[in-house]
Amino acid sequence: MLPYISRRLLFMIPTLVGMTLMVYTLIALAPGGFSASASAAAGGGAPAGGDPRIAEAKFRDRFLLDEPLLTQYGRWLARVFPVKFGTRAQVDATGERIYWPASLPEMIAVGDAASPAEVQRLAESMAAARASFHAAEPELQRQAQYRQVSREAKTARESLVGALAQLRLDLAEYAAATGQSALVDSRGELPASRLVALRVDTAHELWSSVAASARVANDAYAKASAARAVLEASFESRPFREAGVGVIPGVLSVGAPDLGWSRTKNRPVGSLILEALPVTLLINVVAFPLIYLVAIPAGMLAAARRGSLFDVLSGGVFIALWSIPVVWAGVLAIGFLASNQYLGLFPVAGLHATDSASMPFLPSWGAAGFARGWLLDLVWHLVLPVTCLVYAGFAVLSRQTRAAMLDNFNADYVRTAKAKGVSRRDIVLRHVFRNSLLPLITMFVSIFPAMLSGSVVVEKIFSVPGMGSLMLEAISLHDAEMMLANTVMIGCVSLLALLLADILYAVADPRVSYA
Amino acid sequence: MQNRFGIKDFLVLLLLLAILATQWLSMVQRDRQWPVLQAIADQVGALDERLAGVDARLSSGVVSAPRATVGGPVAAATPSRAEGWARTGVPVQWQPEPSFANDPSKVPGYRVGGEWVEVFEGQPQKLTPYLYADVYGNRVVDRVCESLGSFDPKTMMLVGVLADAWQVDPDGKWIRAHLNPRAKFSDGSPVTAEDVRWTYQDFIMNPAIDADRTRSTLADILDGVEVIDERSVEFRFKDALFSNILIALGEPILSKKYYAQFEAAQVNQSTGLLMGSGPFMMAQTPKSVSELSTQWTPGNDVVLVRNPNWWIGRAPLDGQRFRVIKDDLARLVAYDNNEASMVLPTSPQYNALLRDRHDFEKTNYALKWINMRSGYSFIAWQCGPRGETGRLTPFQDGRVRRAMTLLLDREKMIRDIWDGIGVVAKGPFNPESPASNPSLSPLEFNPQAAMALLKEAGWEDRNQDGILENEKGEKFKFEYTYATGGEIAERIARFVVDSYNKAGIEVTTRPIDWARYQDLLKSRDFDAITLAWSANSPESDPRQTYHSESMAKGRDNFSQWSSPEADALIEKGRRTMDPAMRMLVWHELERVIAEGQPYTFIRVAPWLRLIKRDFGNVRMYKTGLSPEEYFFSGPSSTTQPGT
Repeated sequence: MLPYISRRLLFMIPTLVGMTLMVYTLIALAPGGFSASASAAAGGGAPAGGDPRIAEAKFRDRFLLDEPLLTQYGRWLARVFPVKFGTRAQVDATGERIYWPASLPEMIAVGDAASPAEVQRLAESMAAARASFHAAEPELQRQAQYRQVSREAKTARESLVGALAQLRLDLAEYAAATGQSALVDSRGELPASRLVALRVDTAHELWSSVAASARVANDAYAKASAARAVLEASFESRPFREAGVGVIPGVLSVGAPDLGWSRTKNRPVGSLILEALPVTLLINVVAFPLIYLVAIPAGMLAAARRGSLFDVLSGGVFIALWSIPVVWAGVLAIGFLASNQYLGLFPVAGLHATDSASMPFLPSWGAAGFARGWLLDLVWHLVLPVTCLVYAGFAVLSRQTRAAMLDNFNADYVRTAKAKGVSRRDIVLRHVFRNSLLPLITMFVSIFPAMLSGSVVVEKIFSVPGMGSLMLEAISLHDAEMMLANTVMIGCVSLLALLLADILYAVADPRVSYA
Repeated sequence: MQNRFGIKDFLVLLLLLAILATQWLSMVQRDRQWPVLQAIADQVGALDERLAGVDARLSSGVVSAPRATVGGPVAAATPSRAEGWARTGVPVQWQPEPSFANDPSKVPGYRVGGEWVEVFEGQPQKLTPYLYADVYGNRVVDRVCESLGSFDPKTMMLVGVLADAWQVDPDGKWIRAHLNPRAKFSDGSPVTAEDVRWTYQDFIMNPAIDADRTRSTLADILDGVEVIDERSVEFRFKDALFSNILIALGEPILSKKYYAQFEAAQVNQSTGLLMGSGPFMMAQTPKSVSELSTQWTPGNDVVLVRNPNWWIGRAPLDGQRFRVIKDDLARLVAYDNNEASMVLPTSPQYNALLRDRHDFEKTNYALKWINMRSGYSFIAWQCGPRGETGRLTPFQDGRVRRAMTLLLDREKMIRDIWDGIGVVAKGPFNPESPASNPSLSPLEFNPQAAMALLKEAGWEDRNQDGILENEKGEKFKFEYTYATGGEIAERIARFVVDSYNKAGIEVTTRPIDWARYQDLLKSRDFDAITLAWSANSPESDPRQTYHSESMAKGRDNFSQWSSPEADALIEKGRRTMDPAMRMLVWHELERVIAEGQPYTFIRVAPWLRLIKRDFGNVRMYKTGLSPEEYFFSGPSSTTQPGT
C-alpha cells in the first residue's frame, strides 16, 4: 500500500504542473492576455499628462509582463513550488517575500551604447558601486539600508524603463518619417529585435532626437545597473531571515508556497484566500453533512421499500427540488421569508448581525428577555444560504444510493442470507449497504474540492464573502495570480481526494488491493 | 459479554466533542470581547479624568465663554490674515471659514446620535487612501480624510477646506497654500505643512508604496512640494495648466506622524489603514505597528464613528456603517426592513416603488437629481483610419456624424431603456457644471434633416434596395461595438441597430469582453463604440479626449477627431487660470464639439437615492450628498435613545 501511495503522490507533481500550465496558457491566449488585468488594475483611463505608452511600459515592467510567457510561468512556478532551487528568498517582518533582484530590461543598442568601451565602462562602474557598498552591522540597520537601496533601485529602474520606452517611440517616429513604418509594431513602437533592419541616416533631423533619447537611456541604464549591483550586494548581506528550510545551502531548500499578489485587488493572494476560505468552509461544513444525512437514509429506505408510497414520494419531491433553479429560490426566499412586508423571519444578507461582536456567545435569558447570542445569530443567518445550497443535492445522492442498493438486493448472496434466516435489518445494513458503498465513495470524495470552491450563486444572493465570489471576480477581471492560486488549491485537494477514494475502495472492498 | 464500540458510544463521544468545542468557542468569544472591554474601561478612565478637571475648574470659579451651538461651526478666534507666508506681488485668495453647507442644528427636529447605514453593491478590498482600487474605498476615504480644497456643494466652485488661503501664480507654474491653523487630525495633532509635503513627496511619489494610479498622474505634472513655514506649502509644476490647481488642492492629506510609523510593505498589505481630519473616523484603526492586526478586513462592515476632534464642527450622527449586499433585490429588502438608511435603486425599482406604493414618500425621500458626479453615455464614431487596416469609415465626414445623431431618437431611448430616468446629453460637460454652455441644447430627433445631410455627403439609396450607397456603389454599413454582460448595453445595441436600419444603414454588432475594451480603444479597432464616462469634479481636462495631439496611438482621443478650432480652444482653456474666464472658453469648446459630433452623446445619468425620512437635513447638492450634516430624528432599533 505504502509504495502505491508514494507513487501516486509523486505523480501528482507533473499533473499539477500540467494543470497550472494549461490554465496559464489559457489566460495568456484569452483576448487581451495578461495585460487585460494590468489595464483593469491601472483603473482604465490614461494619466492626464505624459505619454500613456510610457506609463504602460512602466506598468508592464513592474509585473515583468514583457518577458516571454514561459519565463513568466517558470518564475510563478518557482514561487509556488515548495521545493526551491538557487538563492533563497528572504522574509521581512511583515511576512513579505523578498527575492533576488530581477534582471534589467534589455538595452537598445543605438549609437555608442553597444561599443566595447561603453560595455567596459559599465562593468567597471557596476563593480565600483558594488565595492562601495558596506553592509551596516546591526540587523535593524541592515534592513533599513536594504529598504533605502531597494527604493533607489526601483526609482532608477523606473526611469530606465521610461527612457527605453521613449527611445522606442522616437525610433518608431524616425522609422515612419524615413519610410520604414513596416518595422513599427502594433503598439506604435520599434522593438529592439527589429533594430538590425533599420537603415540609419544620421543626418536626418529626427535622428538627433533619437540620439538624444539614446543618450538618456544609456545614462539611465548605467545608473540602474549600478543601483541594481548595490541592491544585489545588500541582498547578499542577508538583511532579513531566509525563507524556508535549507537542504543543500545555496542550491536546494524547502519553503511554503508564495501565491503572489492580486493585481486587481492590490493585496496578497494568500490573505485574500485566508479571508474567504473559512466562510465557504463554514457554510459547506454545515451543508454537506445535511445532504448526506437526509439523502442516504432516504435512498436506503426507498430501495428497501421499493414501489411504496415513500419511494415514489421521496423520488418525486427530490427531483422537484432538484429542478428549482437556485437563483430563483434565493430571490424568492429573500423576497418572502426575509422581507418584513411578508414573513420577515430571516436576515437579508451577511453572516452576522451588526451588533454580533458585543453579544454573549450562547443564547441566554436575562432581564431584557431572550438574547440570541453569537452562536444562534450565526445559525439564524446561515439558514437561508444553507437551505439554498442543500435542497438541490438530495436527488442525485438518494437516487444513486437507491440504485446501488437495488442492484445488490437482487444479488444471489442476499437470497442466501434471506434463506438462512438473517433478519431483514441485518441484510439491509450489513450486507447490502456495505456492498453499495463503492459508488457512494466515488461521490463522497468529490465534495472535498466542492467544499473549497464555494457557490457563486448563493454567495452573491446572500452577500456571503466566500471563495465563489472571490473567484468570479478574479475571472471577470482576468486576475491571473488569483486564478492560478485557486487552480493550485483546488487541484491539490482534488488529487488528494481521488487518492483518498482509491484507499477507501480498498478498505470497503476486500477484493481491491494495491499490493 | 463483548465490549464493542456501538452506535451509542459513538453518540456519547460526539456529544462530548460538541461540548468541548462549544466550551472552546465560548472562550474564543470572551477573548474577542476583551479588547472591547478594555476600550470601555479606558474610556471610562478618560471620562473620569475629564470630570475631575471640570470639577476642579468649577470649584475654582473659572467659567469660559459658551462655545457655538453643538453641531454648528466652532466659533473661531478672529482669523489672522497675516500674509507673511505669501509671495509678494501676487494676490492672496482668502477662503471662507469652512462650515456645514446647511447647519443641521438650525433644522427643526435636530438631535445628536444615531447611526447611518449605507449599502455597497460590491466588496471593497482596501480602504487605505491612494491604495484602494474601487469606488467603495473612495466613498469611505471621502468621509474620513480632507484635502486642501474641495468643491462648494452649492456653487461648485473650488473653496478651501484644510487651506484657508492660497496664491495662484498668474503663469500657473506654482501654488502656495496656507493651512487653517485650527485644522487637526482625528488624533488631535495639528495638520502641518510637513504633513502636506510628506503626503505628496514621501507617500504618493514613493515608488515603494503601491499608489501607482495617483503617482503616474502626479509624476507628469508635479515638480516638487516645498515647506515654506509650519503652515504654508508651495507646489511647483512642470507645466502651466489649470488642472494643476485641482490636483494640488484635491488630494486627501495624510498625517505623517501616523503613516510614517508603518513600513511601506505594511502599508501595501494593509486593508484599512485610514486616519484623517474629516468628520468621521474608523471605529477601529491600528494606532501603532503592534496593533496592525486590528485593522478592518473585507467581509466585515465598515464602521465609522464621529470624530470628536473634528475641527470644523460636530457631526450630529454617532456613526456611519457600510454593509455589503450584492444582490439588487436583497438590497431593497434590507432597506425596507430598516437595515439600511440609504439605498441606490435601479431605474425600474425606483419607478415601481413610486408607482405601486403611493405613501412611499411619506416615510422615504425618493431623490433624483443630476450632480457633478453624474456621468454620461455616448457612442464614439471612428473619424480617422480604423485600427491596423487603416480603413476609413463613413464617419470621417462631419455631416454623416451629425446625421447619425439626428437619426437616433434619444428621448425615446431614455423612455424605453432607462424607464424615462435621465436627460439627453448635449456635450462633454456635466449640465450642472459651470463649464456647460447654457445656450446649447441637444440636437433633436429629425430623420428628414438627417437624410438630407447624408444625401449631401453622397449617401443615398441609388439602386432602390432600401440601403444607402455612395457614388462608388458601396453600401453604408458599419460595426457597432459594445461591452457584453449588461442588459442595458444589449438594449441600447438593439435600439441603435433598429434606428439605423430604418434609415437604410446596415449595422452589425460586435459584443466584446469588458477586459478587452481598453486594448480596442487604444488600437482604434472599431467603427462605432459605446461607452460611458463617469465624473467626480465639475470640470476635467478636455485635452485627453478632444485634442488632435491625443490622437496618437494609445492616447484617449480614440475617435480620432481633429479640429484646429477645438485644439486652439483647448490650449487656451487649459492655460486660463481664472475660473470665470476659463468657463467661457469651455462654453465655446462645447459648441465646437457639438458641431463636430465626434460622439453622439446619449444620456446624462442622474443619481437615484432612497433615504429614510428618519434622517433630517437631507439635501441634494450639486456635489452629491453630505451625510456629515444629517441627523437622526426617528425611532429605530439601531439607535439607543439618550446618546
